[in-house]
Amino acid sequence: MASLTKVQRHRKALGILGDVYAILIYAVLYIPVVVMMIFSFNDQRYNYYWNGFTTQWYGKLFTNHALMDSLWYSLIIAVLATVISVVVGTLGALGLKRYEFKMKKFVNSMIFIPIIVPEIVLAVALLIIFMNVGFSLGMGSILIGHCTFCIPYAVVTIKGRISGDGETLEEASMDLGANRIQTFLRVTLPSIMPGVMSAAFLSFTLSIDDVVMSNMLSGAKNTTLPVLILSMNKSGVTPDVNALTTIMILVIVACMLLSNAVKAALRKRSAAA
Amino acid sequence: MKRILSGVLASAMLLALCACGGGTPAETTAGTDTPAETGAAEASTELNIYMWQQYISDQVVSDFEEANNCTVNISYMSDNADAITKLTAGGGQEYDLIMTCDAYMESLIAGGYVEELDLSRIPNSSNINSSYWSSPNHSIPYLGNYIYVVYNTETCPIEITCYNDLLDPALKGQITSIDGARNLFPMALVALGYDPNSENEEEIAEAYEWLVKYNENVVAYGNAEQNLTNGTASVAFTYDGNASWAFAETGGEDSPLVVAPFTDDAVQLGFDMYVIPTGAQHTDLAYKFLDYICDPEVMAQNLVEFPYFCPNDAAVAAAPESYRNDPSKDFDYKENVFFQEDVGDALTIYNDYYQMLKVGQ
Repeated sequence: MASLTKVQRHRKALGILGDVYAILIYAVLYIPVVVMMIFSFNDQRYNYYWNGFTTQWYGKLFTNHALMDSLWYSLIIAVLATVISVVVGTLGALGLKRYEFKMKKFVNSMIFIPIIVPEIVLAVALLIIFMNVGFSLGMGSILIGHCTFCIPYAVVTIKGRISGDGETLEEASMDLGANRIQTFLRVTLPSIMPGVMSAAFLSFTLSIDDVVMSNMLSGAKNTTLPVLILSMNKSGVTPDVNALTTIMILVIVACMLLSNAVKAALRKRSAAA
Repeated sequence: MKRILSGVLASAMLLALCACGGGTPAETTAGTDTPAETGAAEASTELNIYMWQQYISDQVVSDFEEANNCTVNISYMSDNADAITKLTAGGGQEYDLIMTCDAYMESLIAGGYVEELDLSRIPNSSNINSSYWSSPNHSIPYLGNYIYVVYNTETCPIEITCYNDLLDPALKGQITSIDGARNLFPMALVALGYDPNSENEEEIAEAYEWLVKYNENVVAYGNAEQNLTNGTASVAFTYDGNASWAFAETGGEDSPLVVAPFTDDAVQLGFDMYVIPTGAQHTDLAYKFLDYICDPEVMAQNLVEFPYFCPNDAAVAAAPESYRNDPSKDFDYKENVFFQEDVGDALTIYNDYYQMLKVGQ
């Protein structure tokens, strides 16, 4: 210790402070998740208090048809909403960024309206419109609802990735004989791919955990997982929901690790080449 | 481009028209249906219900499906307001039966959102005790909850026989209470001798003062059953369903808990009731289901799984002893009740005072 200079001691103290800060932040972020996971092993019908260890909920989960059906329903809607949002979002972002037209600024700022307006207002407005035109509630209505907030996020995210250089590259590509479609697929799309991917992840996340819109727009036959879980609030959430959420988290973590591994492998390959 | 656009628009409008057209004839047949015609007309094969989750026995539902050769689709609400929003936005025709509560009935009837019931098509409805039936022309009460006082005879320092006893300084930090403006204010209004659904601002202000004193004795809002069983509180102002759980946890009939022996004050009773929304498309099955659920044997079977307070006297008589001997339902002022009524514009007064109460002004 004595050999440390004043500056080194200072740095060390700051380092410890930094660690404490990081631990605190991570604790706030992850303790609820850990508690949620622990309670998936609770031996009680409702999660009122800890009653003993069991793994039965992981088995029972798959026989709970309401839960499984709503999970599939949520996943289908989330995938469709993601695909639609990414396609419309990419086209929209390119159009809004690259092309000049009347009231461009105005149109560009209008894209934030669905993001800013409280979701419940949009949801009720859509509900009233659907009911007035006789569009029955169900997967279609929820999907449209989700797209109203996923598309603006996708446009904003992708627009941020479009740089000025892209245009010169596109011109060069077309100079070299590529048509517009080839240029789009081989030059434009790869250059904005990270933005497209973030938009896809964002849309998927927004859609799969949406409650407000789905709750208002779901029909009589099916509902999404978050709406089902929310409706369990009256009697108490059962541990099989915790079990399902734990599995979902593990799948997400596995996917993240896999995507990192793939990225690392690709980097190695391109470095070798 | 323009042609494509107009094509898309045209087909969208056509679709909308088809959907409307599909809805209208069904509505008219449903509207003119009489019991005699039901048999002749094409019987519905599906019934769409919007209600609380974990509130009806799966067996009871599947027996109904089998008997009527139909599918029952149940979707779940997370709040009573969900059902109201869907109904008032015009989404009623999506469902055949919707669950709602007393507080909304007046508005729903006034707005024409619910169908008037033909009770001759629900013969079993005669089993329902009329003192629990606040709007018999438009709703069938299903199950309900009392909001009353329960206390622990071993740890509570005083005997409680009326709401004013809850203000006793000896109870400081002893009460666990449910929350919500329309649950707390009626208690105070009854204690002060006013109408529990008062729309008079002066009375509500007085009730607020009463609740400020009550607030000083409250140790926690919510989780009454846990707070009673783990000793955090010795008195609970809560639902009988939650009390039932606390009784079971503390020894059933040997429990030191007791439902407060109220002498004069009325207690709040809230029912979840079924209504048929205007424009419902499968009213024939909706009526059959309402009659089925009012059948004493069916309801008794349902009560085994969901031991809530039941307005169907014949079903209670047919229910197993475990239900009838539940200590949380052992009190003798069962009919001295009041319901939560629609208070109209006065609701904002309640909410303002409630917020003041919550921020401790």
